[in-house]
Amino acid sequence: MQDDREIRALLKDYPVPEPAAGFFERALLRATHEGSRRQRKRWVMTGFGSAVAAGLALWLVGGLFLTTPNLPDAEATIPGITMTLAEAQTVNLVFASATALDAATLTIRLPDGIELFGFPGQREISWQTSLNTGRNLLPLKLIALSAVGGEILATLEHNDRSRTFRLRIEVS
Amino acid sequence: MKLPACSFEKIVRPHFERLYRLAWRLTGRKAEAEDLFQELLIKAYGKLDHLVHIDEPGSWLARVMYNLFIDERRRFARRRMHTVTEGELRGDGLAGLPDTADPVRDVQRLQRIEQLDAALSQLSDEHRIIVLLHDTEGYKLSEIHELMDIPLGTIKSRLHRARARLRHILEADGTFFL
Repeated sequence: MQDDREIRALLKDYPVPEPAAGFFERALLRATHEGSRRQRKRWVMTGFGSAVAAGLALWLVGGLFLTTPNLPDAEATIPGITMTLAEAQTVNLVFASATALDAATLTIRLPDGIELFGFPGQREISWQTSLNTGRNLLPLKLIALSAVGGEILATLEHNDRSRTFRLRIEVS
Repeated sequence: MKLPACSFEKIVRPHFERLYRLAWRLTGRKAEAEDLFQELLIKAYGKLDHLVHIDEPGSWLARVMYNLFIDERRRFARRRMHTVTEGELRGDGLAGLPDTADPVRDVQRLQRIEQLDAALSQLSDEHRIIVLLHDTEGYKLSEIHELMDIPLGTIKSRLHRARARLRHILEADGTFFL
């Protein structure tokens, strides 16, 4: 029979792997740059263009959602962001809804080489959510594991209707 | 006026190792630990004017890190990502462990760690974090109390239950060692 002493001895030897070489230096550098940038940019989103540029995609849901099956597929209409390889980045998806939607299902489909933080190897993640009237923010922490990029598909389903939104990812 | 970055580094650098270990214990994954550590530094830099006046910046930084971790966890909980089980969120911590001079011992050690890793992944976050902070990292109960803002009695009972649960899992697995 194991006692607490044995469990504690075992736990005491439970290691923490070293961080990647140079991680602390990079983290420090990034903190000073990013910290300064965040202080400067207490911006308020004013439009689609500026939103995309800031890593934020804004989609109108509401009335469109209820009447239109899909967004046009033309590439020019697809918002896009550029990610840095192997660096976590939060992409904020904003769904602007004219009406509240209860028990909607949101499914995110990721291209090869793009992962949602904490969900390694999963290409499709789905969950139930509710949208309020107005802008609904969904932050997705993503990491690019290859330089290929691709498209993220976000499908919103409510009752028997659905709509798919696309976000183009480029990796630098 | 913003203080220079060198002041920031002077304050935070002495705490890097302990904070990184804390991030690892909270998240259980290298990528998430690094991300949490990074977020902490960014947040702390934004509070530099405040940070310079704190007597024990290490404790303050640890609390901020814990709160960031809890906030992130709540956000994920609200999303109810049903395709993930708790166990899948851990377990990549075995890569990069330093070798000893004895390969046989390395294999045995790796097996022990894998078994412990698997057992820990079956604990709730609350139990896992407390047992790791206390029994692995050597935090005092009072330090855990300050960090997590949980009553001492609750911490003691969770610690006791966590050890008992670990013991049960390891015994049931038939893998006891030492």
